[in-house]
Amino acid sequence: MTLPRFATRRPLGRRRFLRGVGVSLALPLLDAMSPVFAKSSKSASPLAPGAKPRRVLGICNNLGLLGDQFFPTGQGRDYVASPYLKLLQEHREDFTVFTGVSHPNVDGGHPADICFLTAAPHPGSGSFRNTISLDQYIGEQIGILTRFPSLTLAVNTRTRSLSWTGTGVAIPPEDKAAAVFKEMFLQGSAEQIDAQIQKLDTGQSILDTVADQAKTLQASVGARDRDRLDQYFTSVRDLEHRLQASKGWERKPKPVVKAPVPIDPANSAAYMEKVKVMYDLARLAFETDSTRSVTLMLEGTNAPVLEIRNAHMTDSYHNLTHHGKSESKLAELKIIDGCHMKLLSGLIADLKSVCEGEDRLLDRTMVLYGSNFGDANAHTCFNLPVILAGGGFRHGQNLVFDRITNYPLPNLYVSMLQRLGIEADKFSTSTGTMRGLEFA
Amino acid sequence: MLRDVFLTCLLLAGIGSLRAAPPDSFAVFTGKYCTGCHNSTAKTAGLDLTTLPFDLADTGNFAEWVKVHDRVRAGEMPPKVIKERPDPAAQDAFLQLLASSLIAAEQKATATQGRATERRLNAYEYENALRDLLHAPWLQVKGLFPQDGEAYRFNKSSSALDVSHVHISRYMAAANYAIREVISVKAIQPPTATTRYYAREQKSVIQKINNPRGQAGDRAMYPIFGLKPQPEVFSRQEPMTVGAADPEARENEAAAWVASNYVTGFTYKWDQFKAPVSGRYRIRFKGYTLWVAPLPEPKSYLPDWERISAGRRNEPVNVYTRDGVLNRHVGSFDLTPEPAVHDIGDVWLVAGETLVPDASRLYRSRPNNYRNPLMTADGAPAVAFNWMEVEGPLYDDRSFAGYRLLFGDLPVQPNLDVRSTEPLKDEERLMRAFLRHIYRQPHVDSADVKRFVSLVEERRKAGLSFTQAMVAGYTAVLASPKFVYLKEKPGRLDDYALATRLSLFLWNSLPDEALLSRAAKGELKRPGVVRAETDRMLADPKSRRFVDSFLDYWIDLRKMEDSTPSSALYNDYYLDEALTEAATAESQLFLDDMLRHDLPASNVVDSNFTFLNERLAVHYGIPEVKGVAMRHVDLPPGSVRGGFMTQASVLKVTANGTTTSPVLRGKWIMERILGFEIPPPPVVPAVDPDIRGAVTIRQQLDKHRSDASCATCHSKIDPSGFALESFDVMGGWRDRYRGVDENVPAIKGRGKNGQPFAFHYALPVDSSGVLPDGRRFANVRDLKQLLLTDKQLLATNMAKQLVIYATGSAIRFSDREQLEKIVQAAKSDSYGLRTIVHNVVESDLFRNK
Repeated sequence: MTLPRFATRRPLGRRRFLRGVGVSLALPLLDAMSPVFAKSSKSASPLAPGAKPRRVLGICNNLGLLGDQFFPTGQGRDYVASPYLKLLQEHREDFTVFTGVSHPNVDGGHPADICFLTAAPHPGSGSFRNTISLDQYIGEQIGILTRFPSLTLAVNTRTRSLSWTGTGVAIPPEDKAAAVFKEMFLQGSAEQIDAQIQKLDTGQSILDTVADQAKTLQASVGARDRDRLDQYFTSVRDLEHRLQASKGWERKPKPVVKAPVPIDPANSAAYMEKVKVMYDLARLAFETDSTRSVTLMLEGTNAPVLEIRNAHMTDSYHNLTHHGKSESKLAELKIIDGCHMKLLSGLIADLKSVCEGEDRLLDRTMVLYGSNFGDANAHTCFNLPVILAGGGFRHGQNLVFDRITNYPLPNLYVSMLQRLGIEADKFSTSTGTMRGLEFA
Repeated sequence: MLRDVFLTCLLLAGIGSLRAAPPDSFAVFTGKYCTGCHNSTAKTAGLDLTTLPFDLADTGNFAEWVKVHDRVRAGEMPPKVIKERPDPAAQDAFLQLLASSLIAAEQKATATQGRATERRLNAYEYENALRDLLHAPWLQVKGLFPQDGEAYRFNKSSSALDVSHVHISRYMAAANYAIREVISVKAIQPPTATTRYYAREQKSVIQKINNPRGQAGDRAMYPIFGLKPQPEVFSRQEPMTVGAADPEARENEAAAWVASNYVTGFTYKWDQFKAPVSGRYRIRFKGYTLWVAPLPEPKSYLPDWERISAGRRNEPVNVYTRDGVLNRHVGSFDLTPEPAVHDIGDVWLVAGETLVPDASRLYRSRPNNYRNPLMTADGAPAVAFNWMEVEGPLYDDRSFAGYRLLFGDLPVQPNLDVRSTEPLKDEERLMRAFLRHIYRQPHVDSADVKRFVSLVEERRKAGLSFTQAMVAGYTAVLASPKFVYLKEKPGRLDDYALATRLSLFLWNSLPDEALLSRAAKGELKRPGVVRAETDRMLADPKSRRFVDSFLDYWIDLRKMEDSTPSSALYNDYYLDEALTEAATAESQLFLDDMLRHDLPASNVVDSNFTFLNERLAVHYGIPEVKGVAMRHVDLPPGSVRGGFMTQASVLKVTANGTTTSPVLRGKWIMERILGFEIPPPPVVPAVDPDIRGAVTIRQQLDKHRSDASCATCHSKIDPSGFALESFDVMGGWRDRYRGVDENVPAIKGRGKNGQPFAFHYALPVDSSGVLPDGRRFANVRDLKQLLLTDKQLLATNMAKQLVIYATGSAIRFSDREQLEKIVQAAKSDSYGLRTIVHNVVESDLFRNK
C-alpha cells in the first residue's frame, strides 16, 4: 500500500523551503517540492492525487437556540426566514436549514452534547459508552493527508468533547487557541522534533520485530490459520505506513501565516469573544490545510453571567435557558442567541473571502452548526436546530421533516462523508443519506 | 417392496466409501422420493437433486447435503401431504450413508486444519492476561480495543476476531500503558496512609451547598451537624468547616441531600482524593440517614432543612469509581439512621481514580418543574455523609511482583528510570525471563530472545535510555503474535495448548503457574488430573470471569444498557441504575450457583430460588428482602420468577425500553434456551408498535401471521414469546399494557426523574399460546412446565453453548455424536451443569484443535 502522502498540499515555494531550512536542513524534504497536483486524476477518492481538499467543521452549541426564533416557515427554497435566520440573510444561498431532525434514541438532556457528532444512543444511562464521532471517522480515513488528522476545540471546557474515538474514549478538547496556534504554526525546536521522531521510530522498530516473528509463524501453520496470521502481518504493515506518514509531517516545516498569535480571553464570561477566537483559528487551520476535520464544543452550562457588549445580562446563560417562558429571561436569551448567529455569519463570510484554487474556501468547507437540545428549557433532544453551510452542496433551502417522529440527523453525516469522497453508506443510526440535499 | 430391499442393500454397500459424486444408490433413493419436486424444472425450494454435486470439501455443498439429511431425518421430507412414505429401512440406510459420508469428509478436513481456526485473544482475555501475568489486577484496558465481533453467538471464534491496524496500535498502547503503570507502583511507592476526606471539604460538595446555578431547591446539599441544621453555614455566615483545628466538631459535620446524582457521578464526587498509584485501597464511609420535613405550602415539595429528624429507614448506597467518564461499581452498603462507619472493603483503583457514593433510592431530577417523588406530606428521606476514609495503597508480597518480572532487583528512581550497570547483560537476562513468563511455553525460543534483545539494543543505540528501550522490547512482546494468538496445532492438543484452552474457558486468561507446571510435567494426560484442575479453577474467584463473559454472550447480558426505559412510559424505571445492576447480578449469581452446586440444566427454565436484594425484590413483588446486598432467596410457591427466562435482565435485553415483542422474545427462547437456530427473516417492515395503547402487539401480529409465508416460521417462533408478554420492558409483571395518549388521563404519581407519570393502563395482556407441537399454555407458568418436559433438550443446549464457547468452533455435523455423548454422560446426574462442564472438558471436541 502506498499513500500519496503529500499529494494535496500546496507545493512548497522555494522561499518557504528556505525559511524552514533552519530546522530541517538534514531532513529529506525534497519529495514535498515536486509538483504534486496531477490534474488528470479522475478518482473521486480524497486520497487520490490531485483530489480537491474538502473539510468539515462541526460546531455544537450545547444550550441550543430558541426554536420559535430559529425555525423558518415554509419549506424548500421559498422558505421565509425566521428572526435568527435573518441574521444569516447575506448567506442565504450558502446554507441549508433543517427542520424536524434529531439523533434517534439520543436523550438524556445535558449529557447528550457529547453525542452530537456520534449519535450514540442513551447518553444519560449509567454505563453509557460513546462511539466514534464524525470528525474522528474522517480523521481515520483521510487524516493521513494533513499534519493534524483532526482538531478538537472547545470554548469554556477542557472535558466535554465532541470528538470520540472508535473505542468510546473522549479526545480532550483544547480551549486555548494560542496553544493550538503555536502547535500548528510555530516550528518546534530541533530537540522536540527529534524526540517525536524517536518515538515514531520506536514504534516502527517494534512493528518490524513483531512482523518478523509473524513471518516465521506463518511458515509453520495450515492454510486457514495462515490467513489469520496474514491478517496480523498486513495490519502491522498498514500501521507502519501510518507511522511513516506521521514522521513525514514531523520533518516538514510548518506553514507560515501572517495572523498574530491569538489572545484567549481569560474570563469565562467573555464567552462570545472566545467563540470568535476559535472560529478564526478553525478558518486558519483550513486555510493552511493543517487539518480537514475540526470540532468545536461551545459549552455554556457552567458559564457565569455573560459579558456581552451593549447588553446587560442578569442571569447565567444556563439559567436563562430555563426561562420558564419569562419574558425578561427570553429577551436576554435572544440577545445571546443573536450573538451566536452573528458570529456564525462572520465565520461564513470569512470562509468566503479566502480563495483556494478556483474555489472559495467555503465551497470546500462544510460548516455544521447545531445543538444537542431542541428545547433546552424542557431538556428535549428532538427537533434540533441544525444548519449546514458551504462545502459543495446545493443550498438555499429549508428541508422540513416530521416534527413528531423526526428524521435521522446521522443521514446528514453520511451525506457529508460522501461529499468528502469517503465511501460510506452508514454512520451510527443513519438510514441513508440526507433526503433533499444534493451535491453542487 | 422387493425393490426397496434391493435399494437398502445398495445403500448399505456404499457405506464407508467417500466419493466426489453422489453414490449411485443416492439417486435411486432421491429419484424415488425427492426428485419429483427437487428436479431441474421445478427446483422446489431452489433445490435440484438431479444435478446437485457431491463435493463435500466445498462448504456450501456440504451444508446443502446436511440440510437434506436433517430434513429427511426429521420426517419433514418428503412432505406429509405425500401419501407414499419411504420404506424405513431404505430411509435409514440412505441417512446412514449420507451421514457417514458427511462425517468422513468433515473429519478429513479436521485432521489437517482442526475444528477451530487460529484466533487471537479477545479484548477481555487480553486484559485478563495482562492483569494476571503482570500482577496488575487493577488494570483496565479492555475499553481501548474496538468491540470484538460475534460468531456462533460468542466472541471466542476466529471469524469474530479480526485484526486491523487499529488493533496493533492498541496492543502497543495497552501494553505500554500497563508496563508503565507497573513500574510506577514500585517507583512512586507512596507509603500506606489512612486519610479522611471530609464531605465538607470536597469542591463539588461545597459547590452544591453554596447553591450555585442549577443546584437550587432540592438539588442543593445542606450542611448539618449531627441532626442539627446549620443555616448559618448554608448562608455563608459561618465557614464551611471548622477544619483540623477542632477535630471533634469536624467529625460531626456532614453534608445532606434528598436528590441523588444527576447521572452516576455527574454532579458530585470525593474530588480531593485521587489514587496516587494503581493498587489496592480500603474504603470506608461515615454517614447516616435522616428525615426532612417539607416546607410550608406552596413549596411543600421542597425539603425544609431546618426541620430534620433521625432517618426512618436504611438507604442503599452504591459506590462507583470516577475518573473522567468511566464508572465502575465497586461496593455497596446500607446507610443507617445511626451514624456509622461502613467499610466497603478492599477496592482496586487505577491511578487517578476517586469514588462517589450514590444513594440509589433517591431521585435523579430532570427539568422542568421536577418534584421529589419520595416527598410526602410528612417529609422525605435524606442521606448525610461525614467523610470518606481511604487506607492505602495496601501492599503485600505481590504488589511488586510485576516490577520484579520486568526488572528483577534493579533499582528504580521516582521518575521511573531503572538503573542498570550492565545493560547488555541485564537486557538478555531480563528478556529471557520475561519471554518464558509471557509466552507460557516450555522453552524460550532463542530466536525470540535474539529478536527482542536486538530491538532493545537497537533502540538504546538510537538514544533511548535503558528503561525506555526495555519498555519498547516488552511492549513488542505483548503485541507479538506469539502472545496475541493461540498456539493450537491440528489433532490432539499438546499439554500447553490444552492448559491454555482450559484457562481461557474457565478464567478468560492464560494459565497460571500451577497449571503450567502440570503441563510441563506432562501430568495433564494422566486420568483425573484435568478434572482436578477444572475443579481447582472453578473454585478460584477468577472463575467469575467465565460466568460473566459467558452470560454476556449467551443471554446478551452485555447489552443491559443498550436501551433505556422510555421516560414517557416507564419513568418509574428510568435512571434506576440500582435496579439494572441488581438484575445483572441476579443472572450472574444464578449461573454461578448452578455451576457451584451442579444444579440440573433445567434450572435454566425454572427454579424455586433466585438471588435478590431489596430493590429487585420490590420489583418482583417479593416481600421481606431488605438491604442492598444480593442473597439467595427461596421463591414463594407459584412465583413466576426462577430460571433465566423470567429474570429482569433477560426481559430487559429482549425489549427496547419502550415496547416488547413476542417475536424477539420467542426467538430468544428458541435459540438461547432450546438451542434451535432461527434464520434471519426476509426483508419486511417490522411491526410498528402502538404506544397509545389502542391495539396490542398480539392483535398486530395476528394480522401479520395470517400471511401464510410469514406464518410458517412465526408459528414456531412467536408462541413462547407470548408467554413473556406478562412482563414489561424491565421485567416487571403487568396485567395491562401501558399507553401514552394525551386524550386519556395519566396515572397519578412521579417517576425517578421527578416528572409526573404520562402513561395510563391500556388493554389487558393475553399471555396464552400454542406451541408448534400443539400443546397449549395459558401463561408463563404453564409454558415453563411444558418446556421442562424435555430436560435432555435443555441440557443439550447448554452443552452446545459451552462447547462453542470453550472451543471457538460451531457444533458441526460430525460433532453431533460427541455432543450427545457429553449430554448422555450427565444424565444420571440430572444433567448437572458442573457435570456438563466436566464432560465438555473430557470430550474429544475439547481435547482436539
